[in-house]
Amino acid sequence: MSRTRMVIGSSGGLLMLFGAFRLFTEVSTRNLLFLALWLAGAVAIHDGVLAPVVVGIGAALRRIPARARRFVQGALIAGGLVTVIALPLIHRENSQPKVKAVLQQDFTANVAILLTIVAGVAVLLYLVRVVSGGQAASATNDRPSDDHASSSE
Amino acid sequence: MVPGTSTPTRPRFWPRFASPVRSTALTARLGRVLGIMFGICFVTGLLSHYQYQPWSWLPEPATPVWGYRITQGLHVATGTAAIPLLLVKLWSVFPKLFQWPVVKGARHGLERLSVALLVSSGLVELFTGLFNSLNWYPWPWDFVPVHRFLAYVLIGSILLHIAVKLPDIKYGLNTKLALGDVLTEKSWQENPDAYSNNDNTHVAPPAPEGLSRRGVLLATGAGVGLVVATSVGQTVTPLAPIGLLATRQAKKGPQGVPVNRTADQAKVRGLALAPGYTLQVTGPAPFTLTLAEVEALATHEKSFPISCVEGWSVGARWQGVRLIDLVERAGGSADCRVRVVSLEPKGSYRHSYVDGPQVAEALLATHLNGDRLHIEHGYPLRLIAPDRAGVLNTKWLARVEIS
Repeated sequence: MSRTRMVIGSSGGLLMLFGAFRLFTEVSTRNLLFLALWLAGAVAIHDGVLAPVVVGIGAALRRIPARARRFVQGALIAGGLVTVIALPLIHRENSQPKVKAVLQQDFTANVAILLTIVAGVAVLLYLVRVVSGGQAASATNDRPSDDHASSSE
Repeated sequence: MVPGTSTPTRPRFWPRFASPVRSTALTARLGRVLGIMFGICFVTGLLSHYQYQPWSWLPEPATPVWGYRITQGLHVATGTAAIPLLLVKLWSVFPKLFQWPVVKGARHGLERLSVALLVSSGLVELFTGLFNSLNWYPWPWDFVPVHRFLAYVLIGSILLHIAVKLPDIKYGLNTKLALGDVLTEKSWQENPDAYSNNDNTHVAPPAPEGLSRRGVLLATGAGVGLVVATSVGQTVTPLAPIGLLATRQAKKGPQGVPVNRTADQAKVRGLALAPGYTLQVTGPAPFTLTLAEVEALATHEKSFPISCVEGWSVGARWQGVRLIDLVERAGGSADCRVRVVSLEPKGSYRHSYVDGPQVAEALLATHLNGDRLHIEHGYPLRLIAPDRAGVLNTKWLARVEIS
Protein backbone atom coordinates (compact mmCIF):
# COMPACT_ATOMS: atom_id res chain seq x y z
CA MET A 1 0.00 0.00 0.00
CA SER A 2 1.47 3.33 -1.02
CA ARG A 3 2.35 6.14 1.36
CA THR A 4 -0.44 8.32 -0.07
CA ARG A 5 -3.02 5.66 0.63
CA MET A 6 -1.69 5.16 4.15
CA VAL A 7 -1.91 8.88 4.91
CA ILE A 8 -5.43 9.30 3.45
CA GLY A 9 -6.68 6.10 5.01
CA SER A 10 -5.31 6.68 8.49
CA SER A 11 -6.52 10.29 8.62
CA GLY A 12 -9.94 8.98 7.57
CA GLY A 13 -9.83 6.37 10.29
CA LEU A 14 -8.90 8.99 12.89
CA LEU A 15 -11.75 11.28 11.82
CA MET A 16 -14.17 8.35 12.04
CA LEU A 17 -12.94 7.48 15.52
CA PHE A 18 -13.23 11.10 16.62
CA GLY A 19 -16.79 11.37 15.27
CA ALA A 20 -17.83 8.08 16.84
CA PHE A 21 -16.22 8.96 20.18
CA ARG A 22 -17.98 12.32 20.31
CA LEU A 23 -21.28 10.75 19.34
CA PHE A 24 -20.90 8.31 22.21
CA THR A 25 -20.04 11.08 24.68
CA GLU A 26 -22.58 13.70 23.52
CA VAL A 27 -25.64 11.61 22.68
CA SER A 28 -27.68 9.56 25.14
CA THR A 29 -27.73 5.77 24.81
CA ARG A 30 -31.42 5.82 23.93
CA ASN A 31 -30.84 8.32 21.11
CA LEU A 32 -27.77 6.40 19.92
CA LEU A 33 -30.00 3.35 19.54
CA PHE A 34 -32.43 5.38 17.46
CA LEU A 35 -29.51 6.68 15.39
CA ALA A 36 -28.30 3.10 14.86
CA LEU A 37 -31.82 2.23 13.75
CA TRP A 38 -31.79 5.10 11.25
CA LEU A 39 -28.36 4.11 9.94
CA ALA A 40 -29.42 0.50 9.45
CA GLY A 41 -32.81 1.57 8.10
CA ALA A 42 -31.23 3.89 5.52
CA VAL A 43 -29.15 1.04 4.09
CA ALA A 44 -32.07 -1.38 4.27
CA ILE A 45 -34.41 1.01 2.44
CA HIS A 46 -31.80 1.88 -0.17
CA ASP A 47 -30.37 -1.58 -0.81
CA GLY A 48 -33.54 -3.52 -0.14
CA VAL A 49 -36.21 -1.33 -1.74
CA LEU A 50 -35.02 1.62 -3.79
CA ALA A 51 -32.12 -0.02 -5.65
CA PRO A 52 -34.03 -3.23 -6.56
CA VAL A 53 -36.97 -1.12 -7.78
CA VAL A 54 -34.59 0.88 -10.00
CA VAL A 55 -33.00 -2.34 -11.31
CA GLY A 56 -36.51 -3.69 -11.95
CA ILE A 57 -37.54 -0.59 -13.85
CA GLY A 58 -34.33 -0.88 -15.85
CA ALA A 59 -35.20 -4.49 -16.75
CA ALA A 60 -38.77 -3.53 -17.71
CA LEU A 61 -37.43 -0.81 -20.02
CA ARG A 62 -35.75 -3.45 -22.21
CA ARG A 63 -39.11 -3.92 -23.96
CA ILE A 64 -38.74 -0.43 -25.42
CA PRO A 65 -36.85 -0.30 -28.74
CA ALA A 66 -33.26 0.66 -28.06
CA ARG A 67 -33.29 3.93 -29.97
CA ALA A 68 -36.16 5.32 -27.89
CA ARG A 69 -35.10 3.57 -24.70
CA ARG A 70 -32.09 5.73 -24.03
CA PHE A 71 -34.25 8.85 -23.99
CA VAL A 72 -36.76 7.21 -21.64
CA GLN A 73 -33.89 6.17 -19.38
CA GLY A 74 -32.38 9.64 -19.42
CA ALA A 75 -35.70 11.26 -18.62
CA LEU A 76 -36.35 8.80 -15.79
CA ILE A 77 -32.93 9.47 -14.26
CA ALA A 78 -33.27 13.27 -14.38
CA GLY A 79 -36.94 13.20 -13.36
CA GLY A 80 -36.35 10.65 -10.61
CA LEU A 81 -33.58 12.73 -9.06
CA VAL A 82 -35.77 15.84 -9.04
CA THR A 83 -38.60 13.81 -7.47
CA VAL A 84 -36.40 12.52 -4.62
CA ILE A 85 -35.83 16.10 -3.45
CA ALA A 86 -39.40 17.20 -4.18
CA LEU A 87 -41.16 14.47 -2.16
CA PRO A 88 -40.13 15.70 1.32
CA LEU A 89 -41.01 19.25 0.25
CA ILE A 90 -44.48 18.11 -0.80
CA HIS A 91 -44.85 16.30 2.52
CA ARG A 92 -43.90 19.42 4.49
CA GLU A 93 -45.91 21.88 2.41
CA ASN A 94 -47.76 24.49 4.55
CA SER A 95 -46.59 22.85 7.77
CA GLN A 96 -45.20 26.05 9.28
CA PRO A 97 -46.64 29.43 10.33
CA LYS A 98 -47.21 31.59 7.25
CA VAL A 99 -45.00 34.41 8.49
CA LYS A 100 -41.89 32.19 8.24
CA ALA A 101 -42.19 32.29 4.44
CA VAL A 102 -41.21 28.64 4.32
CA LEU A 103 -42.72 25.75 2.31
CA GLN A 104 -45.61 27.81 0.97
CA GLN A 105 -45.41 26.72 -2.62
CA ASP A 106 -47.59 24.14 -4.32
CA PHE A 107 -44.69 21.73 -4.73
CA THR A 108 -46.86 19.07 -6.37
CA ALA A 109 -47.64 21.50 -9.18
CA ASN A 110 -44.02 22.67 -9.27
CA VAL A 111 -42.58 19.18 -9.60
CA ALA A 112 -45.17 18.47 -12.30
CA ILE A 113 -43.81 21.47 -14.20
CA LEU A 114 -40.24 20.22 -13.81
CA LEU A 115 -41.12 16.67 -14.87
CA THR A 116 -42.99 18.03 -17.88
CA ILE A 117 -39.89 20.00 -18.85
CA VAL A 118 -37.73 16.88 -18.46
CA ALA A 119 -40.13 14.77 -20.52
CA GLY A 120 -40.47 17.52 -23.14
CA VAL A 121 -36.71 17.83 -23.55
CA ALA A 122 -36.37 14.04 -23.85
CA VAL A 123 -39.09 13.87 -26.53
CA LEU A 124 -37.51 16.77 -28.37
CA LEU A 125 -34.07 15.15 -28.33
CA TYR A 126 -35.60 11.88 -29.52
CA LEU A 127 -37.38 13.63 -32.40
CA VAL A 128 -34.18 15.40 -33.38
CA ARG A 129 -32.45 12.03 -33.42
CA VAL A 130 -35.21 10.46 -35.52
CA VAL A 131 -35.34 13.34 -37.99
CA SER A 132 -31.60 13.55 -38.36
CA GLY A 133 -31.62 9.88 -39.34
CA GLY A 134 -30.18 8.48 -36.17
CA GLN A 135 -29.09 5.26 -37.85
CA ALA A 136 -25.48 5.80 -36.98
CA ALA A 137 -26.26 6.31 -33.32
CA SER A 138 -29.03 3.78 -32.99
CA ALA A 139 -28.24 0.83 -30.85
CA THR A 140 -25.92 -1.72 -32.23
CA ASN A 141 -23.41 -3.82 -30.49
CA ASP A 142 -20.61 -1.83 -32.04
CA ARG A 143 -18.97 0.19 -29.41
CA PRO A 144 -18.23 3.82 -30.22
CA SER A 145 -14.62 4.49 -31.08
CA ASP A 146 -14.40 6.82 -28.11
CA ASP A 147 -16.72 8.56 -25.71
CA HIS A 148 -17.18 11.56 -27.99
CA ALA A 149 -18.69 9.38 -30.66
CA SER A 150 -21.37 7.88 -28.44
CA SER A 151 -23.38 11.15 -28.69
CA SER A 152 -26.58 9.69 -27.35
CA GLU A 153 -27.87 13.10 -26.35
CA MET B 1 -29.94 -8.59 -14.11
CA VAL B 2 -29.36 -11.38 -16.63
CA PRO B 3 -27.61 -14.70 -16.26
CA GLY B 4 -23.87 -14.33 -16.50
CA THR B 5 -21.09 -16.80 -16.11
CA SER B 6 -21.53 -18.63 -12.88
CA THR B 7 -18.97 -19.23 -10.24
CA PRO B 8 -19.34 -22.80 -9.03
CA THR B 9 -19.72 -21.94 -5.38
CA ARG B 10 -22.32 -19.21 -5.88
CA PRO B 11 -25.92 -20.17 -5.13
CA ARG B 12 -28.18 -20.30 -8.16
CA PHE B 13 -30.42 -17.49 -6.94
CA TRP B 14 -27.49 -15.11 -6.47
CA PRO B 15 -28.04 -11.91 -8.53
CA ARG B 16 -25.94 -11.48 -11.65
CA PHE B 17 -25.36 -8.16 -13.37
CA ALA B 18 -24.40 -7.92 -17.01
CA SER B 19 -25.35 -4.38 -18.05
CA PRO B 20 -22.31 -2.78 -19.70
CA VAL B 21 -23.39 0.71 -18.53
CA ARG B 22 -21.82 0.38 -15.10
CA SER B 23 -18.09 0.90 -15.11
CA THR B 24 -15.29 1.97 -12.82
CA ALA B 25 -14.77 4.79 -15.32
CA LEU B 26 -18.35 6.00 -14.70
CA THR B 27 -18.25 5.50 -10.92
CA ALA B 28 -14.93 7.35 -10.60
CA ARG B 29 -16.37 10.34 -12.47
CA LEU B 30 -19.47 10.41 -10.29
CA GLY B 31 -17.35 9.92 -7.18
CA ARG B 32 -15.05 12.80 -8.07
CA VAL B 33 -17.93 15.28 -8.18
CA LEU B 34 -19.57 13.77 -5.10
CA GLY B 35 -16.29 13.89 -3.19
CA ILE B 36 -15.89 17.58 -3.98
CA MET B 37 -19.48 18.21 -2.84
CA PHE B 38 -18.91 16.35 0.43
CA GLY B 39 -15.65 18.24 0.96
CA ILE B 40 -17.28 21.65 0.49
CA CYS B 41 -20.22 20.59 2.64
CA PHE B 42 -17.97 19.40 5.46
CA VAL B 43 -15.75 22.49 5.52
CA THR B 44 -18.66 24.94 5.32
CA GLY B 45 -20.37 22.90 8.04
CA LEU B 46 -17.35 23.36 10.31
CA LEU B 47 -17.37 27.09 9.54
CA SER B 48 -21.04 27.21 10.47
CA HIS B 49 -20.37 25.40 13.73
CA TYR B 50 -17.66 27.95 14.46
CA GLN B 51 -20.27 30.71 14.21
CA TYR B 52 -22.02 29.16 17.19
CA GLN B 53 -18.99 28.22 19.29
CA PRO B 54 -15.97 30.38 18.38
CA TRP B 55 -12.75 30.22 20.37
CA SER B 56 -12.47 33.35 22.51
CA TRP B 57 -9.01 34.15 21.11
CA LEU B 58 -10.21 33.94 17.51
CA PRO B 59 -13.56 35.70 17.25
CA GLU B 60 -15.68 35.56 14.13
CA PRO B 61 -14.59 38.29 11.66
CA ALA B 62 -16.92 41.10 10.57
CA THR B 63 -15.80 41.07 6.95
CA PRO B 64 -16.83 40.14 4.37
CA VAL B 65 -20.35 40.95 5.56
CA TRP B 66 -21.67 38.21 3.26
CA GLY B 67 -19.24 35.56 4.52
CA TYR B 68 -21.78 33.33 6.23
CA ARG B 69 -24.26 33.95 3.43
CA ILE B 70 -21.82 32.31 1.00
CA THR B 71 -20.56 29.50 3.21
CA GLN B 72 -23.93 28.41 4.54
CA GLY B 73 -25.59 28.82 1.15
CA LEU B 74 -22.90 26.50 -0.21
CA HIS B 75 -23.38 24.09 2.68
CA VAL B 76 -27.08 23.60 2.04
CA ALA B 77 -26.77 23.71 -1.77
CA THR B 78 -23.97 21.11 -1.90
CA GLY B 79 -25.70 18.95 0.70
CA THR B 80 -28.94 19.02 -1.28
CA ALA B 81 -27.17 18.33 -4.59
CA ALA B 82 -25.25 15.48 -2.99
CA ILE B 83 -28.47 13.53 -2.33
CA PRO B 84 -29.29 12.78 -6.00
CA LEU B 85 -25.59 12.40 -6.79
CA LEU B 86 -25.08 9.89 -4.01
CA LEU B 87 -28.07 7.87 -5.23
CA VAL B 88 -26.62 7.66 -8.75
CA LYS B 89 -23.19 6.82 -7.36
CA LEU B 90 -24.71 4.00 -5.30
CA TRP B 91 -26.64 2.76 -8.35
CA SER B 92 -23.37 2.63 -10.28
CA VAL B 93 -21.83 0.22 -7.74
CA PHE B 94 -24.96 -1.68 -6.73
CA PRO B 95 -23.59 -5.00 -8.13
CA LYS B 96 -20.72 -4.77 -5.63
CA LEU B 97 -23.28 -5.47 -2.90
CA PHE B 98 -23.53 -9.00 -4.31
CA GLN B 99 -19.86 -9.94 -4.21
CA TRP B 100 -19.33 -13.64 -3.76
CA PRO B 101 -18.18 -14.86 -1.33
CA VAL B 102 -19.83 -12.18 0.79
CA VAL B 103 -16.76 -11.90 3.00
CA LYS B 104 -13.39 -13.26 1.95
CA GLY B 105 -11.52 -12.64 5.16
CA ALA B 106 -11.00 -10.21 8.01
CA ARG B 107 -9.58 -7.46 5.83
CA HIS B 108 -12.31 -7.75 3.19
CA GLY B 109 -14.92 -7.89 5.94
CA LEU B 110 -13.60 -4.70 7.48
CA GLU B 111 -13.61 -3.00 4.11
CA ARG B 112 -17.22 -4.00 3.51
CA LEU B 113 -18.18 -2.79 6.99
CA SER B 114 -16.54 0.57 6.32
CA VAL B 115 -18.48 0.86 3.05
CA ALA B 116 -21.71 0.05 4.93
CA LEU B 117 -20.87 2.80 7.40
CA LEU B 118 -20.08 5.18 4.53
CA VAL B 119 -23.40 4.51 2.80
CA SER B 120 -25.49 4.65 5.97
CA SER B 121 -23.85 7.74 7.45
CA GLY B 122 -23.99 9.45 4.04
CA LEU B 123 -27.69 8.80 3.56
CA VAL B 124 -28.62 9.72 7.15
CA GLU B 125 -26.43 12.84 7.25
CA LEU B 126 -27.76 14.19 3.95
CA PHE B 127 -31.42 13.37 4.48
CA THR B 128 -31.55 14.61 8.09
CA GLY B 129 -29.85 17.80 6.89
CA LEU B 130 -32.48 18.28 4.20
CA PHE B 131 -35.26 17.55 6.68
CA ASN B 132 -33.80 20.09 9.10
CA SER B 133 -34.09 22.76 6.42
CA LEU B 134 -37.75 21.75 6.12
CA ASN B 135 -38.23 22.20 9.89
CA TRP B 136 -38.94 18.47 10.08
CA TYR B 137 -37.52 16.36 12.90
CA PRO B 138 -38.91 12.82 12.74
CA TRP B 139 -36.24 11.55 15.17
CA PRO B 140 -35.82 11.82 18.94
CA TRP B 141 -32.21 13.09 19.08
CA ASP B 142 -30.94 16.65 19.16
CA PHE B 143 -30.15 17.52 15.53
CA VAL B 144 -27.01 19.63 15.95
CA PRO B 145 -24.58 17.28 17.79
CA VAL B 146 -25.62 14.26 15.73
CA HIS B 147 -25.34 16.17 12.43
CA ARG B 148 -21.99 17.55 13.55
CA PHE B 149 -20.31 14.36 14.74
CA LEU B 150 -21.86 12.05 12.15
CA ALA B 151 -20.21 14.39 9.63
CA TYR B 152 -16.79 13.38 11.00
CA VAL B 153 -17.73 9.70 10.71
CA LEU B 154 -18.90 10.31 7.15
CA ILE B 155 -15.92 12.36 5.96
CA GLY B 156 -13.58 9.87 7.66
CA SER B 157 -15.20 6.91 5.95
CA ILE B 158 -15.02 8.79 2.62
CA LEU B 159 -11.26 9.29 3.09
CA LEU B 160 -10.84 5.64 4.06
CA HIS B 161 -12.85 4.64 0.99
CA ILE B 162 -10.66 6.84 -1.23
CA ALA B 163 -7.54 5.23 0.24
CA VAL B 164 -8.88 1.71 -0.35
CA LYS B 165 -10.09 2.49 -3.87
CA LEU B 166 -7.25 4.75 -5.00
CA PRO B 167 -5.99 2.39 -7.76
CA ASP B 168 -9.56 1.99 -9.07
CA ILE B 169 -10.11 5.76 -8.91
CA LYS B 170 -6.90 6.38 -10.85
CA TYR B 171 -7.83 3.76 -13.41
CA GLY B 172 -11.39 5.08 -13.70
CA LEU B 173 -10.43 8.69 -14.17
CA ASN B 174 -7.63 7.85 -16.63
CA THR B 175 -9.83 5.69 -18.82
CA LYS B 176 -12.20 6.92 -21.50
CA LEU B 177 -15.77 6.52 -20.36
CA ALA B 178 -16.81 4.16 -23.16
CA LEU B 179 -13.68 2.03 -22.79
CA GLY B 180 -13.68 1.39 -19.04
CA ASP B 181 -14.23 -2.13 -17.81
CA VAL B 182 -17.74 -3.28 -17.01
CA LEU B 183 -18.50 -3.22 -13.30
CA THR B 184 -20.32 -6.34 -12.16
CA GLU B 185 -20.74 -8.26 -8.92
CA LYS B 186 -17.52 -10.13 -9.70
CA SER B 187 -14.23 -8.92 -8.30
CA TRP B 188 -11.58 -7.90 -10.81
CA GLN B 189 -9.58 -11.03 -10.15
CA GLU B 190 -12.41 -13.09 -11.62
CA ASN B 191 -13.41 -10.58 -14.26
CA PRO B 192 -11.63 -11.17 -17.57
CA ASP B 193 -12.75 -7.70 -18.63
CA ALA B 194 -11.19 -5.96 -15.66
CA TYR B 195 -8.49 -3.37 -15.99
CA SER B 196 -5.97 -5.34 -14.01
CA ASN B 197 -6.13 -8.03 -16.64
CA ASN B 198 -5.83 -5.43 -19.36
CA ASP B 199 -3.03 -5.27 -21.80
CA ASN B 200 -2.86 -3.78 -25.23
CA THR B 201 -4.98 -6.54 -26.62
CA HIS B 202 -7.81 -5.86 -24.19
CA VAL B 203 -11.15 -5.90 -25.97
CA ALA B 204 -13.29 -2.92 -25.03
CA PRO B 205 -16.72 -3.67 -23.56
CA PRO B 206 -19.83 -3.67 -25.77
CA ALA B 207 -21.73 -0.38 -25.98
CA PRO B 208 -24.91 -0.36 -23.90
CA GLU B 209 -28.05 -0.90 -25.98
CA GLY B 210 -29.86 1.92 -24.26
CA LEU B 211 -28.41 4.93 -22.53
CA SER B 212 -24.64 5.22 -22.84
CA ARG B 213 -22.36 5.93 -19.90
CA ARG B 214 -22.02 9.48 -21.10
CA GLY B 215 -25.81 9.59 -21.29
CA VAL B 216 -26.01 8.58 -17.62
CA LEU B 217 -23.67 11.42 -16.69
CA LEU B 218 -25.64 13.90 -18.78
CA ALA B 219 -29.00 12.81 -17.35
CA THR B 220 -27.57 12.91 -13.81
CA GLY B 221 -26.15 16.36 -14.49
CA ALA B 222 -29.52 17.49 -15.80
CA GLY B 223 -31.38 16.16 -12.73
CA VAL B 224 -28.90 17.56 -10.20
CA GLY B 225 -28.67 20.80 -12.18
CA LEU B 226 -32.45 21.22 -12.11
CA VAL B 227 -32.52 20.59 -8.35
CA VAL B 228 -29.77 23.14 -7.72
CA ALA B 229 -31.10 25.77 -10.12
CA THR B 230 -34.62 25.59 -8.72
CA SER B 231 -33.65 25.48 -5.04
CA VAL B 232 -30.79 27.97 -4.61
CA GLY B 233 -33.12 30.90 -5.33
CA GLN B 234 -33.64 31.01 -1.56
CA THR B 235 -30.14 32.43 -1.23
CA VAL B 236 -29.02 33.37 -4.77
CA THR B 237 -31.64 36.08 -5.15
CA PRO B 238 -31.50 36.40 -8.98
CA LEU B 239 -32.63 32.75 -9.22
CA ALA B 240 -35.61 33.29 -6.89
CA PRO B 241 -38.09 33.59 -9.82
CA ILE B 242 -37.34 30.01 -10.93
CA GLY B 243 -37.26 28.67 -7.38
CA LEU B 244 -39.78 25.88 -7.92
CA LEU B 245 -38.07 23.76 -5.26
CA ALA B 246 -36.96 26.66 -3.04
CA THR B 247 -38.15 26.13 0.52
CA ARG B 248 -38.00 29.81 1.48
CA GLN B 249 -39.35 32.72 -0.50
CA ALA B 250 -38.05 35.97 0.93
CA LYS B 251 -40.74 38.12 -0.66
CA LYS B 252 -43.45 36.24 1.24
CA GLY B 253 -41.93 37.21 4.61
CA PRO B 254 -42.82 40.41 6.45
CA GLN B 255 -40.73 43.33 5.10
CA GLY B 256 -39.36 40.99 2.43
CA VAL B 257 -37.42 38.84 4.91
CA PRO B 258 -38.33 35.30 6.06
CA VAL B 259 -38.65 34.46 9.75
CA ASN B 260 -37.18 31.50 11.58
CA ARG B 261 -38.61 31.80 15.08
CA THR B 262 -41.92 33.62 15.25
CA ALA B 263 -43.00 35.96 18.05
CA ASP B 264 -45.64 33.42 19.08
CA GLN B 265 -43.17 30.51 19.11
CA ALA B 266 -40.92 32.66 21.32
CA LYS B 267 -43.93 33.64 23.47
CA VAL B 268 -42.75 37.21 23.34
CA ARG B 269 -45.60 39.15 21.72
CA GLY B 270 -46.98 40.68 24.96
CA LEU B 271 -43.55 41.55 26.33
CA ALA B 272 -42.35 43.15 23.10
CA LEU B 273 -45.46 45.30 22.69
CA ALA B 274 -45.68 46.34 26.36
CA PRO B 275 -45.84 50.17 26.65
CA GLY B 276 -43.23 50.41 29.39
CA TYR B 277 -40.43 48.86 27.31
CA THR B 278 -36.91 49.77 28.32
CA LEU B 279 -33.47 48.65 27.17
CA GLN B 280 -31.04 47.99 29.98
CA VAL B 281 -27.34 48.39 29.37
CA THR B 282 -25.11 46.93 32.09
CA GLY B 283 -21.39 47.51 32.54
CA PRO B 284 -19.08 49.78 34.55
CA ALA B 285 -21.60 52.65 34.03
CA PRO B 286 -25.01 51.01 33.57
CA PHE B 287 -27.99 52.92 32.19
CA THR B 288 -31.51 52.36 30.89
CA LEU B 289 -33.11 53.71 27.73
CA THR B 290 -36.81 54.15 27.06
CA LEU B 291 -38.21 53.19 23.68
CA ALA B 292 -38.33 56.85 22.65
CA GLU B 293 -34.68 57.31 23.63
CA VAL B 294 -33.65 54.22 21.68
CA GLU B 295 -35.53 55.45 18.60
CA ALA B 296 -33.92 58.89 18.88
CA LEU B 297 -30.46 57.27 18.74
CA ALA B 298 -31.37 54.99 15.84
CA THR B 299 -29.90 57.04 13.01
CA HIS B 300 -27.23 54.73 11.61
CA GLU B 301 -27.83 52.72 8.44
CA LYS B 302 -26.14 49.51 7.34
CA SER B 303 -26.67 46.95 4.61
CA PHE B 304 -26.20 43.48 6.07
CA PRO B 305 -27.59 40.25 4.68
CA ILE B 306 -29.43 37.97 7.07
CA SER B 307 -28.30 34.39 6.48
CA CYS B 308 -29.90 31.42 8.12
CA VAL B 309 -28.27 28.11 9.02
CA GLU B 310 -31.10 26.50 7.05
CA GLY B 311 -29.64 27.89 3.86
CA TRP B 312 -31.78 30.90 3.03
CA SER B 313 -30.42 34.42 2.99
CA VAL B 314 -31.46 37.84 1.81
CA GLY B 315 -29.82 41.24 1.63
CA ALA B 316 -31.47 43.91 3.79
CA ARG B 317 -31.14 47.56 4.79
CA TRP B 318 -31.13 48.18 8.53
CA GLN B 319 -31.36 51.35 10.58
CA GLY B 320 -30.58 51.50 14.28
CA VAL B 321 -28.27 52.32 17.17
CA ARG B 322 -24.61 51.39 16.89
CA LEU B 323 -23.78 48.78 19.52
CA ILE B 324 -20.37 50.36 20.13
CA ASP B 325 -22.02 53.69 21.08
CA LEU B 326 -23.96 51.98 23.87
CA VAL B 327 -20.91 49.96 24.94
CA GLU B 328 -18.74 53.08 25.22
CA ARG B 329 -21.45 55.00 27.06
CA ALA B 330 -21.62 52.16 29.59
CA GLY B 331 -17.88 52.42 30.16
CA GLY B 332 -16.76 49.62 27.80
CA SER B 333 -14.76 49.59 24.59
CA ALA B 334 -14.55 47.76 21.27
CA ASP B 335 -12.42 45.12 22.98
CA CYS B 336 -15.27 44.08 25.27
CA ARG B 337 -17.25 40.92 24.96
CA VAL B 338 -20.92 41.88 24.77
CA ARG B 339 -23.89 39.68 25.59
CA VAL B 340 -27.29 40.68 24.22
CA VAL B 341 -30.35 39.18 25.90
CA SER B 342 -33.84 38.82 24.49
CA LEU B 343 -37.22 39.37 26.13
CA GLU B 344 -37.82 35.74 25.18
CA PRO B 345 -38.60 33.83 28.40
CA LYS B 346 -36.77 30.70 27.25
CA GLY B 347 -35.03 29.19 24.25
CA SER B 348 -31.49 28.24 23.23
CA TYR B 349 -31.00 31.49 21.33
CA ARG B 350 -32.50 33.97 23.78
CA HIS B 351 -29.05 35.50 24.14
CA SER B 352 -25.88 35.71 22.07
CA TYR B 353 -22.37 37.07 22.33
CA VAL B 354 -20.83 39.76 20.17
CA ASP B 355 -17.05 39.58 20.10
CA GLY B 356 -14.02 41.06 18.44
CA PRO B 357 -14.46 42.95 15.17
CA GLN B 358 -18.25 42.52 15.20
CA VAL B 359 -18.64 44.78 18.27
CA ALA B 360 -17.67 47.86 16.28
CA GLU B 361 -19.87 46.92 13.30
CA ALA B 362 -23.04 45.61 14.96
CA LEU B 363 -26.28 47.54 14.94
CA LEU B 364 -29.24 47.34 17.29
CA ALA B 365 -31.86 47.76 14.59
CA THR B 366 -35.18 49.52 14.84
CA HIS B 367 -35.91 49.62 11.11
CA LEU B 368 -35.75 47.04 8.33
CA ASN B 369 -35.91 47.95 4.66
CA GLY B 370 -37.21 51.43 5.48
CA ASP B 371 -40.01 50.51 7.89
CA ARG B 372 -40.26 50.10 11.64
CA LEU B 373 -39.16 46.58 12.56
CA HIS B 374 -41.97 44.01 12.35
CA ILE B 375 -42.74 42.13 15.58
CA GLU B 376 -41.67 38.91 13.81
CA HIS B 377 -38.28 40.46 13.06
CA GLY B 378 -37.69 41.49 16.67
CA TYR B 379 -39.65 44.68 17.41
CA PRO B 380 -38.82 46.85 19.25
CA LEU B 381 -35.08 46.20 18.87
CA ARG B 382 -32.85 43.45 17.48
CA LEU B 383 -29.20 42.79 16.94
CA ILE B 384 -27.85 42.66 13.38
CA ALA B 385 -24.17 42.10 12.68
CA PRO B 386 -22.16 41.27 9.56
CA ASP B 387 -21.03 37.72 8.67
CA ARG B 388 -23.19 36.25 11.41
CA ALA B 389 -25.55 33.26 11.50
CA GLY B 390 -29.17 34.46 11.38
CA VAL B 391 -30.30 33.04 14.71
CA LEU B 392 -27.40 34.75 16.50
CA ASN B 393 -28.86 38.12 15.56
CA THR B 394 -30.94 38.09 18.73
CA LYS B 395 -34.45 39.56 18.44
CA TRP B 396 -36.69 41.43 20.93
CA LEU B 397 -33.73 42.78 22.90
CA ALA B 398 -34.14 43.48 26.60
CA ARG B 399 -30.56 43.86 27.77
CA VAL B 400 -27.03 44.58 26.64
CA GLU B 401 -24.38 43.30 29.04
CA ILE B 402 -20.75 44.39 28.79
CA SER B 403 -17.97 42.33 30.35
